[in-house]
Amino acid sequence: MSLRSPLEGRGMIEGHGGLRLIDLTLARRGGLRGSGAREWLLSQGHTVPAAPNQIVASGESDSVMSLSHREFWLLQPNCGASSARPAAVAVAAGIWPLYCQHSHAWLQVAGEPRAEIMAKLCGVDLSEAAFPQGSVAQTQVARVSVIVAAHQDQDGRSVFSIFVDQSLARYLWEVISDAMKEWLG
Amino acid sequence: MKILTCPLNGPRNIAEFTYGGQVKPMPNPTEATDQEWAHYVFYGDNHIGVVREWWMHTPSGYWFIVERHNQTDEVMRTYDPAELFDPGSSPATEPVQADP
Amino acid sequence: MTERLPLPYGSRIKRDTPVSARFDGRELPALEGDTVASALVASGQWVISRSFKYHRPRGPLTMAGHDANTLVQTRAAPNRLADELPIADYPETTAQNLSGSLMADRSAIIDWFGRFLPVGFYYRAFYRPFGVWHWWERMIRKAAGLGVANLSASPHYQDKQYLFCDVAVVGAGPAGLSAALKAAEGGASVLLVDEEPELGGSLTYHRFAIDSDAVRSEAETLIAKVASHPRIKVLTHALCNGWFTDHYLPVIQGDRLFKVRAKSCVLATGISEQHVVFRNNDLPGVVLCSALERLLNHYAVAPQGELVVLAGNDQAWMTALTAAEAGLPVAAVVDLRDAPDDAALLAEANARGMTVYMGATVYTARRDSESQSLCAVDIHHIDSQGEVGELIAQTDCAVLAMSAGFMPAYQLACQAGAKLDYDDGRAAFSLSGLPAGLFLAGSVNSMYALDAVLADGRNAARAALRCIDMTADEDESVTCAAQVNHSWPIFPHPKGREFVDFDEDLQIKDIVNATRLGYRDVQLVKRYSTVGMGPSQGRHAALPTARLVAKATERTVSETGVTTARPPVKPEALGHIAGRRFHPHRHTAIADRHAAAGAQWMPVGLWGRPAFYGEPNYKQRCVAEEVTAVRTGVGVIDVSTLGGIELRGPDAAEFMNRFYTYGFLKQPVGRTRYAVLVSEQGVVMDDGVAARLAEDRFYVTATTGGVDRVYREMLRWNAQWRLSVDITNLTAALSAINIAGPDSRAVIEALDCSIDLSADAFPYLCCREGDVAGVPACLMRVGFVGELGYELHVPSLFAAALWDAVMEAGEPWRIKPFGVEAQRLLRLEKGHIIVGQDTDGMTHPSEVGLDWAINRSKPDFVGRRSVDILAASAPIRQLVGFSLELTAPKPLEGHLVIKDGDIVGNVTSCAVSPSLNQIIGLAYAHPDTANPGDRIAIRTEGGVLVQARVEGLPFYDPQNARQAL
Repeated sequence: MSLRSPLEGRGMIEGHGGLRLIDLTLARRGGLRGSGAREWLLSQGHTVPAAPNQIVASGESDSVMSLSHREFWLLQPNCGASSARPAAVAVAAGIWPLYCQHSHAWLQVAGEPRAEIMAKLCGVDLSEAAFPQGSVAQTQVARVSVIVAAHQDQDGRSVFSIFVDQSLARYLWEVISDAMKEWLG
Repeated sequence: MKILTCPLNGPRNIAEFTYGGQVKPMPNPTEATDQEWAHYVFYGDNHIGVVREWWMHTPSGYWFIVERHNQTDEVMRTYDPAELFDPGSSPATEPVQADP
Repeated sequence: MTERLPLPYGSRIKRDTPVSARFDGRELPALEGDTVASALVASGQWVISRSFKYHRPRGPLTMAGHDANTLVQTRAAPNRLADELPIADYPETTAQNLSGSLMADRSAIIDWFGRFLPVGFYYRAFYRPFGVWHWWERMIRKAAGLGVANLSASPHYQDKQYLFCDVAVVGAGPAGLSAALKAAEGGASVLLVDEEPELGGSLTYHRFAIDSDAVRSEAETLIAKVASHPRIKVLTHALCNGWFTDHYLPVIQGDRLFKVRAKSCVLATGISEQHVVFRNNDLPGVVLCSALERLLNHYAVAPQGELVVLAGNDQAWMTALTAAEAGLPVAAVVDLRDAPDDAALLAEANARGMTVYMGATVYTARRDSESQSLCAVDIHHIDSQGEVGELIAQTDCAVLAMSAGFMPAYQLACQAGAKLDYDDGRAAFSLSGLPAGLFLAGSVNSMYALDAVLADGRNAARAALRCIDMTADEDESVTCAAQVNHSWPIFPHPKGREFVDFDEDLQIKDIVNATRLGYRDVQLVKRYSTVGMGPSQGRHAALPTARLVAKATERTVSETGVTTARPPVKPEALGHIAGRRFHPHRHTAIADRHAAAGAQWMPVGLWGRPAFYGEPNYKQRCVAEEVTAVRTGVGVIDVSTLGGIELRGPDAAEFMNRFYTYGFLKQPVGRTRYAVLVSEQGVVMDDGVAARLAEDRFYVTATTGGVDRVYREMLRWNAQWRLSVDITNLTAALSAINIAGPDSRAVIEALDCSIDLSADAFPYLCCREGDVAGVPACLMRVGFVGELGYELHVPSLFAAALWDAVMEAGEPWRIKPFGVEAQRLLRLEKGHIIVGQDTDGMTHPSEVGLDWAINRSKPDFVGRRSVDILAASAPIRQLVGFSLELTAPKPLEGHLVIKDGDIVGNVTSCAVSPSLNQIIGLAYAHPDTANPGDRIAIRTEGGVLVQARVEGLPFYDPQNARQAL
């Protein structure tokens, strides 16, 4: 059965300075939560951030993002989303899989003015100086809750990955594209 | 706009938080008199001084405790509720999760 | 038009770029860089506007956008300030607030009746007899309405943006420049904000020394350093319009409002030059010294005619020197003091052959009837404070430049909580008591000599660096003894017209009379007289008002003080506050399919949900058809907006048991239970269905509007209980559709379903996990609409595909999508309550018949004690079903239920039931009339009382046989 992104048909938006907004909702991601989640991920060979609200590269093209001392998301932009039933049972005692494949849409903004664009929408300083690669912020963008992660994509571009409740994905796409307008020419 | 420091997420605009009322001890619900119970449910202290309050960082769904002076609005300290409700636990903050 | 002065005068204008402009319909020659006001003065016209109350001709006072005398109308908007409007951007402007023309305003007759219009006149004159106000209102509004709003102007793109910095410096005059540079050199990222179009502030027009060349080159160096520093971001033409907690500064530049977040903040906001209060001090041509300096240096405009300088300080003498150097004929320098502090000034003036009057003042200004502007001044000797002696001279002049002293630009500092104190010796206010992280620099901090100003800026930067834990070197010692304020530049005249407040046309006697009427407090004087309420917000009126009120009430000026400063500092457009529209809206994963099927949308919280499908004009029929489909065939509804929360872990059942009212410890796996949440006050907060999917795993639904709160409360209670349970909000992760109707089982069976759907294997109120049409799903048999039905909860990315499969598989049964309208009707026929619609902020479980959902054998649950107390007290109201014949007036939600003339309740839901062919509803009734067969009186539209019959619930299928099929 086919998976459908809430942003289906939106394509991508490109502008000056390498500016680009894309939809990665159908790329694979999963999460774990529990007091032993960190150790479990390490035992599986993943690289795991040392503190909450960070993102690190793990393996060839994956990233691991920490949202607390006990919650981690594994992002796999090169794999398609699984069409299997999301796991619900504990992977080990007290370590529970999360449903981030379906709960959150995944938007990605690349390009020089990305922090300035986000400053129209978000009260957290996302400039390189204040929010370097590897930073994660759970915050609000245009009045809705999001997770913003600063990292590099597969091609080495500096990007913001933005995760938002899938029911708000279209709204967020609209407001980010509106904020991008002055760089679209 | 006021900035509040979340123990998990750091300093943020107050608009990112949800207020959860004062932290107050619950009387034993089976033993308390009706008056004691009504006092717990309906009355708030209104003294000038440092109050202990529940606040939640909305985007992360993380509840924590704020000690705030209610006259100057100065926040003295913010910390994980484990400090109050599970004093033996590990000192690391044990936040709950990201809210979709 | 006069020739412009040669270079270096005219720093703002481009001499080779003329602009063709019009003011009030007449050609106005101008240059790019001119403001509307500078072009007018250059053309020889001082008059720009008519005053608010008396319609007196007015011209620019400050040339800095700090007074209301320059209000003009642009095409798009009224009340724009001509002295800050770039003429190249606004080539078409007109005068406003007049009848006839600017030079011959018929309303100016009011000026002659001025003494019949004392302050507070409106309050006292027009309230009696009752109703007379409506007659006067039209006339007064026309006279005082200022400009005209252009209702057909189209809005343009305005937005907001955060700006982050270590140190924000407000004001780019010498102190601000010096502070910004010092802070940046110390490693801080600096934002420098100024409302003028260039850096430099007073350095761009004021002469800080008799020999001005050295100062000019020092200024140029400083400006160049700041402009090129990589850590300084400069915003010019940008207005910092407020100070909010933790250094949150709204800064308006063009069509954007910057929300500045600074770690610390330096206010180098400068000073407002003060006028001298004498008769006809409002005549066009009477300006502040700084305004004349701006005209000369910024715009190369040398006003025609002779100049008189009225000095209360040495700064005004500098203006006289600047003007003389520019070639203006200086007819006289009149000093309120007995001598200038710096004797060199007097020598310089004498050397230039200026006529000088010491210990004297201009007592009256005289108007030329043709130009409506200044033509001469009467100079009198000052005898004592505010009292003048005989006429010394009458001097012809077209320009009078005055400076009685300075008022710190205190607005931002006072918004931040600073206090203003008046020093009698210096006759000036100063600021103290700033909050942490906020510092003053320069003239706002009572520093006037340029060296002191620059050093003070550096010290403020050091303090700012220290407070954000950046290192700074030792403070410099700074003192400034300059006396810049005259203590009493106020000269009452028997014929009045000595203006204290130009915006509001208030004279000395208006302020004094307010105190005589008992308004002793300056705040009350303001409210009674409206002093300081105009666009200039008391910049010029606050100081003379404080002095006049202090004298009239025999108090000190410190005791009197000034009125509270609140944001905004200057008037701002609502578009700046509005910015972009951020109204989040949520779509379910199936929204496109609904749109394609002709859904009519209704908002439910942030969600858009289909109300019904079909033509809006045929709503009744569409809804009825949808209801019929569910009752007799099969219908399908998108219920993805329903909240869903998963609880996993060894303590999941224990948590459920403590949180909800029902018992959950012994709930078998594969079964659902009704879950009611009450608050600690015992009020019904939410309800849902709890499915036990495994021993350690519950999935519980919550209402669309209530789920966020339910989830929040779960997290908070477990922060206290510390149970081993993982709580996840699955509202977004799972989408849900409800397939309901006698044919629903057949439709799902046709979908390649891995679950045995037979009634024996999957009975009512059970839940199963399996695959439907290849989609992993959790199925629940629920009876909300009262028919055989299945709720399918599936991961959201699959939802659209599942919907398509259901619609295709259901075709043989003519499956019909139904909307919220039909769903609400169907559930009403079943008598199911909706929390939030049929409950209110006082509803406790027994009032709505939910006693059965409370487990009283378990030790405790949230709100238990309150529920017990309420249940033990006498009931006040009861939610009942009622029915009416179709011919009766249909009650609306909120209509009152009346018993013996008293209100005993209200209607919460009401609709025409197609299944039962009558009006049915739910209402709160008195407990005495809550049994089936009782009658309740409902007051409907127009006060018509109808007698409704109380019915047993549910209305439809009382045995609940259909949903259990």
